[in-house]
Amino acid sequence: MTKYVIKRILLMFLTLFIITIMCFVLIKLLPLPAVREMGKDINLVLMRREKMGYNRPIMVQFFLYIKNILTDWDWGVGEQMYEGLEIWDVMMQKLPYTVVVNLYSILISIPLGLGLGIYAALKKNKWQDTVISTLVMVFISVPSYVYAFLVQYIFCFKLNWFPLQLASLSQAGSLFSGKMFISMVPAIMSLSFGVIAGFTRYTRAELSEVLTGDYMLLARTKGLTKAQAISRHAMRNAMVVILPMIFGEFIGILGGSMIIENIFGIPGIGNLYVNSITVRDYNFFMALNIFYTLIGLVSGIVIDISYGFIDPRIRMGSKK
Amino acid sequence: MKKLIALVLALAMMSGVMSAVAEGFTPAASYDVGERTFNAGTIALEAAAAGGGQVSSDVYEGEEGKDYTDEKVYTYNDYTSALTSSMNWDVLSWETSDDSAITDYIISGFYTFKVNGDKTGYAIVPEAAAEMPVDVTAEYVGSYGVAEGETGKAWRIALNPEVSFDDGTKVNADDYIYSMQQQLNPKMLNRRADSWYDGQFSIVNAKNYLYAGSTVYDAIPDSATALLEAGTDVYLDMDFWGVVGAPDADGNPAPQYVSVKDETEYRDAAVEDETDDEAWVSAKYIYENYLAEGAPYASYAPDYLKVASTAKSVTWDEVGLKKIDDYTIDFILEAPVAEAAFYVPYNLSGNFLVKKDVYEACKSFFDENGQPVDTEEEAATVTTTYCRSLDTTVSYGPYKLTSFQLDKEYTLSRNEAWYGYQDGKHLGQYMTDNIVVSVIADHATAILAFESGEIDGVGLQTEDMDKYAASDYISYEPQSYTTKLTFSTAYDKLVEHGTNSQILVVDEFRKGFAFALDANDFATAYTAAGTAGYGLLNYMYCYDPFSGALYRESDAAKKALVELFDMTYGEGGDYATLDEAYEAMTGYNMEKAQELMAVAADKAIEAGIWDGESDITLDIRVYNSDTIYVQMYNYFKAQLTEAVKGTKFEGKIDMTMTPDADYYNTMYSGGADMIFSTWGGASMDPFGVIARCYCDAADGSGNQMEVGYDTAAINMTIDVGGEIGEITDTLQHWAMWANNAVVDVPVISEKLGAFADYAYSTRCEVVAAIEHAFMNWFPTTSLYYRNVASLTSQKVNQASDTYLTLVGFGGIDFITYNYDDAAWADYIANNTLVY
Repeated sequence: MTKYVIKRILLMFLTLFIITIMCFVLIKLLPLPAVREMGKDINLVLMRREKMGYNRPIMVQFFLYIKNILTDWDWGVGEQMYEGLEIWDVMMQKLPYTVVVNLYSILISIPLGLGLGIYAALKKNKWQDTVISTLVMVFISVPSYVYAFLVQYIFCFKLNWFPLQLASLSQAGSLFSGKMFISMVPAIMSLSFGVIAGFTRYTRAELSEVLTGDYMLLARTKGLTKAQAISRHAMRNAMVVILPMIFGEFIGILGGSMIIENIFGIPGIGNLYVNSITVRDYNFFMALNIFYTLIGLVSGIVIDISYGFIDPRIRMGSKK
Repeated sequence: MKKLIALVLALAMMSGVMSAVAEGFTPAASYDVGERTFNAGTIALEAAAAGGGQVSSDVYEGEEGKDYTDEKVYTYNDYTSALTSSMNWDVLSWETSDDSAITDYIISGFYTFKVNGDKTGYAIVPEAAAEMPVDVTAEYVGSYGVAEGETGKAWRIALNPEVSFDDGTKVNADDYIYSMQQQLNPKMLNRRADSWYDGQFSIVNAKNYLYAGSTVYDAIPDSATALLEAGTDVYLDMDFWGVVGAPDADGNPAPQYVSVKDETEYRDAAVEDETDDEAWVSAKYIYENYLAEGAPYASYAPDYLKVASTAKSVTWDEVGLKKIDDYTIDFILEAPVAEAAFYVPYNLSGNFLVKKDVYEACKSFFDENGQPVDTEEEAATVTTTYCRSLDTTVSYGPYKLTSFQLDKEYTLSRNEAWYGYQDGKHLGQYMTDNIVVSVIADHATAILAFESGEIDGVGLQTEDMDKYAASDYISYEPQSYTTKLTFSTAYDKLVEHGTNSQILVVDEFRKGFAFALDANDFATAYTAAGTAGYGLLNYMYCYDPFSGALYRESDAAKKALVELFDMTYGEGGDYATLDEAYEAMTGYNMEKAQELMAVAADKAIEAGIWDGESDITLDIRVYNSDTIYVQMYNYFKAQLTEAVKGTKFEGKIDMTMTPDADYYNTMYSGGADMIFSTWGGASMDPFGVIARCYCDAADGSGNQMEVGYDTAAINMTIDVGGEIGEITDTLQHWAMWANNAVVDVPVISEKLGAFADYAYSTRCEVVAAIEHAFMNWFPTTSLYYRNVASLTSQKVNQASDTYLTLVGFGGIDFITYNYDDAAWADYIANNTLVY
């Protein structure tokens, strides 16, 4: 197992390196964005460009880029957006908001999604299942920003239960204060509907299939109660499929949601990636690209390893 | 049988083609518009007042009955859609309007523009200065390039001794000297340095100090051709083509100035397709094809072609900013400031003051390779983080920054150290205690936030107008732009279109089309906040900076439009007075339109440009096919159909709409029949705008969008009375004269001298004549004047309900409150706000 993990980690870095170099070379083949007007920030940008070897061959630039990151943790400065600000500083200021809002959303969605899925599976083809399945189809089909507008209009504007926008730090004191949490509720709700529906659908489908398995009959004939059979045998088997989905949602946390963040005034990272491409801020693009690639690769490893814990029959790296 | 059918069909097709060819109409080779002379009538010449005049210093004293000093807390909640472009509210280097939004709250300019006493315009009062500027040019004769007898080149500013930074540290002349040294610091190249060397208020040697020993670029002293022939290199400002910093093939960025002999090509990012001819452009290519003599943009050569020289190394003592005593400084300028009572305070309405200890602490030093070094002396580049975060922000204005959260919010609170709260000169101002600016990116959310009482103002978009157009809380801020329907009259190009759109060259046709359009209806139905427009210049333009008088409200400007639309007033006229006629104007007269169309049809047939039978299709190029453009197009089509009823055009004329993101260039090259064109410019310079945008613009022969309409071929006669009497010259020359040209317009300038020698009332009449002359043959017809509409909360009151030049609605200075924060929170919790 340890050998397998080390191998996967080494492969991960190799993959990351290959993806990074591909992105870097491709992006450098595009025209260099203009540095506008005279000024200190522009001067700083030009100076940084010099330091990063913008006028040298692409592979030299790549070497300098990696060297600056590894030796100075220097990811460059914003050239077309957040001009002159350190890329890393901007990302680190914005990332916590995205992570916290999405984390709350996942933490709420997992128990609700699993619970509803289990309940629907147990009540399969009864009216409870029909109601849940219908709602699931609705919530999966409708994009989250539609809920966002509805949530904002009904709960924030009409009922006045929550503020329209996320509280600022000057209002709430900290990211983890009660006031901040309450102001996050509409965004959490908007993000959760689709995720809950997704978990419910997968859980119901997997559990329904597992519940009809012969070993479930065997478990009951051995004398286990229905609840015992479900928790010890059915759920464990169903989770082999569901757990990767949960991990997948965790990866999505870091991506954020551009539309939800815009609607609820969340100063998160959601629109940073798209904007960096739109305005051709290559430093931001590269930093975010590496960041997201790394997250995706780490998640892949974590998911793979998790299989072994969920189902002991799965042996990682075993030749047998 | 099949063969027979095929043969019959083939014969039928050939017959169709032959008949079509036989019936095809070949328009005349050319069309003569005849001689165009506009008689502007008599304009009485009045000489300009000495010094230009005086600006009011009578400031609005605030809303009666309001207590500006009570203990209650008043917060103004504003919003912005983004804060991402720049994060720099340093007065020496701010970049964007987001930056200056913060800067404006935390500084005091030397002078400030305030709403005047009767709320009809602006007043100028000293702020960080103690008194109005004094001309001390005589004291500098023999130094700083000041010659005997000159005036207006040196200005003494008595500093307000009460000014202090937000920590209570008093400000004196040394602080200003230090700040200007940083503004012009050659190792920092602060963005706003050009305010002090490039323009009307250029300080002697400021540019040399900034660029000491480096190459500097100045306007060409002679024609580029002459200079090149004499062996002087000429440089192109690459900003002309928007390619400063664009990469060459090796990735090297384009410098701002490149020799016109240089063939290095740079990638123009504005051209998406790299295989396009102009995807890669060199300075030589741009010069030869666009700016050289005879090229389309030759008239821009003085602005964008430069000669290079090495900036003289100067010491600080040679820079024209002098400390006279602890509270007095002198500005010594490269050139005198005309109409100084307005323009000196105008140029000093900002400030350049920074706090020395904080500024120095915020500096970082780097060598040529971007590596850190320890001192400024050994550094090649110095950067600063001054005013880029809460910790590095220093205020000396009425408010200070109290929080800043990236992409979320910033807040400001009263700067209790600001002198204005105690000096007794700001009574009736600054009722606001706190200002909160939130980032709300989504417009629908901003509307909900406004309706919930969370923000105190919101901008409106077209889709909001159905709901809010009739609101008591709506206000309109005029923009300088006028949107028009512009016609091509380039006969050859129109013929090439092959749709008989050459009918557009007939004056009566365009005028008839214009008369078929109701600008009021159009503005109401198809614009967010536009108001009906009839002229080229809208209500934004001020022709007299001393009185603040608006061009569009002048009698001369009104008369021009009333006469343009054939309205009559006075005895025997349709309206009793000019004002009545102007108020009744819609631009719409369908009966007249039909009469004109009938004449146009006869004229077109007689001239051989239309045969009376062939179908005519007029194509309008629009930016895209959004619903709003489709609706506008349908409106034009319906009105045109109505206008040609009963004429020979009836049933033979149609319109099409073609989306074209590059429709301006298409029109300019003669590829379009009609477009929407929108122009505007500096609101204090209607004279320059009408010249540059319409009568003496880029192509060197006339106008910009009105392709085919040559202002150099139109004469205008003005009777100035007296011994001079009538003067006739081309419309282009009149416009150039009104834009302060002298040498190039000898006929006018030899008789009248310089345009600036005349009173603003006279200048206004001349511009009205030019506007009328330009529109007289309807190369374009105005549709609407652009505005921005916004709602103001029930919580607050602006000083003025109408927009005032330079002071808007009064700004934060004069906002008053109907509710304090607590009362407002209570009110919105228990009431539904209705707008």
